[in-house]
Amino acid sequence: MTRKLIPLMAVMAMLMAACAAPAAPAPTQAPAAPVATEAPAPTQAPGTTEAAPAPTEAPAPTEAPASGVDAIVLSKDNPTEILFWHRYSGGAQQFVEQFVEKFNAENEFGIKVTIEKIDGSYADLYSKINAAIQGGTPPNIAQAYQNQASFYRLDGNVIDLAPFITSKKYGLTQEEIDDYFAFFLESDKNPQFPGEVLGWPTSRSAAVLYVNLDWLKELGVEEPPKTLAEFEELACKASDPANERYGLAWQNDISNFAALVFANGGRVLSEDAKSYTFNSEAGVESLSLLKRLFENKCAVEIASAERFGEQTRFAAQKVLFVMASSTGLPFYADAVAKSEKPFRWTYVMFPQKDPAKPVVDIYGASWSVFKSTPEKELASWLFLKAFTEPENIAQWAVASGYMAVRKSAAPKAIEAVKSNERYKNFPEAAEAYARLYDMVAFGAVEAPVAGYDPVRKLMSDVVSAVAIKGEGDVKAALDKAVEDANAILKENAPGGY
Amino acid sequence: MATATAPPLAQVETRRAPGRSLDRVNPLVYLILIVVGVASLIPFVWMVLTSVKDYGDVVSLKFWPWPPFGNSTPRFDNFAEAIRLIGVDQDTGLPMFFRHVLNTALVTAIVIASSVTTSVLAAYAFAQLDFPAKNVLFILVLATFMIPEELILVPRAVMMNKNYLNWYNTLPAMVAPFLANAFGIFLIRQFFIQIPRDLYDAARIDGAGHMRYLTTVMIPLARPAILTLALLEFIWTWNEFRWIQLVTSSSNMRTVSVGLVGFLQTDGGAQTQLAMAVAVMVVLPVVVLYFFTQRYFTEGITTTGLKG
Repeated sequence: MTRKLIPLMAVMAMLMAACAAPAAPAPTQAPAAPVATEAPAPTQAPGTTEAAPAPTEAPAPTEAPASGVDAIVLSKDNPTEILFWHRYSGGAQQFVEQFVEKFNAENEFGIKVTIEKIDGSYADLYSKINAAIQGGTPPNIAQAYQNQASFYRLDGNVIDLAPFITSKKYGLTQEEIDDYFAFFLESDKNPQFPGEVLGWPTSRSAAVLYVNLDWLKELGVEEPPKTLAEFEELACKASDPANERYGLAWQNDISNFAALVFANGGRVLSEDAKSYTFNSEAGVESLSLLKRLFENKCAVEIASAERFGEQTRFAAQKVLFVMASSTGLPFYADAVAKSEKPFRWTYVMFPQKDPAKPVVDIYGASWSVFKSTPEKELASWLFLKAFTEPENIAQWAVASGYMAVRKSAAPKAIEAVKSNERYKNFPEAAEAYARLYDMVAFGAVEAPVAGYDPVRKLMSDVVSAVAIKGEGDVKAALDKAVEDANAILKENAPGGY
Repeated sequence: MATATAPPLAQVETRRAPGRSLDRVNPLVYLILIVVGVASLIPFVWMVLTSVKDYGDVVSLKFWPWPPFGNSTPRFDNFAEAIRLIGVDQDTGLPMFFRHVLNTALVTAIVIASSVTTSVLAAYAFAQLDFPAKNVLFILVLATFMIPEELILVPRAVMMNKNYLNWYNTLPAMVAPFLANAFGIFLIRQFFIQIPRDLYDAARIDGAGHMRYLTTVMIPLARPAILTLALLEFIWTWNEFRWIQLVTSSSNMRTVSVGLVGFLQTDGGAQTQLAMAVAVMVVLPVVVLYFFTQRYFTEGITTTGLKG
């Protein structure tokens, strides 16, 4: 018996091995998303793919019969379940969970939202969504940066929200639309898909400059720098490498480089989204500035492994300036408060080449809706709409540290920050949050096109090699990066674009 | 029936690589090894020390904030605070961290049991049996080694979805790719082929079949290699992040590494001392296990792959 059994078991074992993982399941990088090669199928207007259920009430004889989105009917008798994937943590996660609980209990449409938190980075969430799309099980709603939403859109996996926004029955009034900061709504549009809205803005923050005001005063300066020239001068004046003190803490997050390009009057991507332009004069000036800062030991790089190391160094008064997201405000407040010698600090608009024409990098993941049934798509939209009601969005801004995306909610969020005990000893920091809303008028978006993630990696490599390590020529390196970036752009462009 | 029993490992004929004995090694070599060892330990020491620091000491960049260099006291409650922040498992009422530990232990146990079993059986076949296309099959198994993980990650994850196996967010999905392991087969086979054929002949004369010979002679002799494989599987599975993250959706199905990443991936900032407390709790089992099994591990690595 055993003589027959062992060869059989051995063959089974070999077959299993052939199907199994190759050796060590070592940690892997997020897999590159597959490149779309075919023209995307045009998304159909929601509500046109299937016959809409009959309305429960007879329409008034004087009105024209509803069509499109307006024809979709949701009711408590026939609940619509939708799935929402997010990666929020801390206070933001708690708020989302509480909101969903309340929404499920109170909404009049019988919508039941299930939330799943994806532990990991935005890149992990992006990989997971791509895998789910290929497996035919994407969520109904997920956080997505604009370039990621564009990638999903290439194959028609996310829907255009425009028909929902303009729906008479379920959409927004002009007054409500006007209450959203226009720039936030615009930032979810991609010139490659004219007229389409690929995400709904819930979370936005700006690239700002955190400043140690007391240290600045020691340098004989009362005000944070307004121009890039002043910024460079102060950064170098503050630096004392022997004591590990530097003017600038630089994390090689490419949004910081993009913010510099904007501040120099340039763009990352052309307005028509047909080519990358960060090798322009503004790009060259930005990279040259960084190169000088590192060459003259006026800046220190914060390695990616030293997560949030710029905050601890700022609190320890090892760096005068930090370029970072405005969402760090509460964390900086806690760090400085806990430090040995608390000091006055704030954040300001990043210094500009021409302060009369400022440009600020404003970013944030939106919530995109994935293609499913008309009912689920509508339910998803109604959830998004409810979440961004002024009262909710004001609380959300406070819980998450993001900006309130609606004008009417901004004063409440500002008041909540100003009255927060955390900022009691840092009035300048609390005031900074209020000034954040002034920056929206000068906002710019990096690149809302598919394939921007690998382009960010290209840009990051250039900054690392040329500015930080001092290798190669600034212009030549940027030209090569743009050439490669444009190839990626072309590869990921919708067919016929 | 007199059965063949395994001789001590030392009696199995192996040829030691020629070289100087350890007591005659240049002190400079020791010095280099000590420096490299200390350098390797620094991040680990920093992690452990940070896990019991006050947040104020973290932001003040103090390496040792306690007496005699400082006035702080170690904050062991960081561990409890971190566990509290990870949340509570609604099903059991237990802290979610413990649920993650249990999930990880279960997945690890299944993977170790399965991969060791399949590796031993397949290795025996490749080392001891003769069958058609044996070498071709062995090369095919080894070829799975060469496929980059990134290449097969998404297709495998897609297979777990409802359109295929419908294992998404279940235990089978979490363990399936790791139930057999080409590296394990190769490692054990290399050990098995060193065992003299005479032992097999003796066992056959005593009437032992393949299974008896495998369990009473080969496995005891190959214990260091098998323990090495089990230890490696433990480390790999305990630390596995990407796959589990891809094929699970609910928090109560997650493992410690995914939970840790979720804890670390905050927007805007982090309480480093709490993150390090979680990291210490996650890596502790691996460190403890390695501490107690390193002798076998070293033995297994150094005695495989040598021609007998």
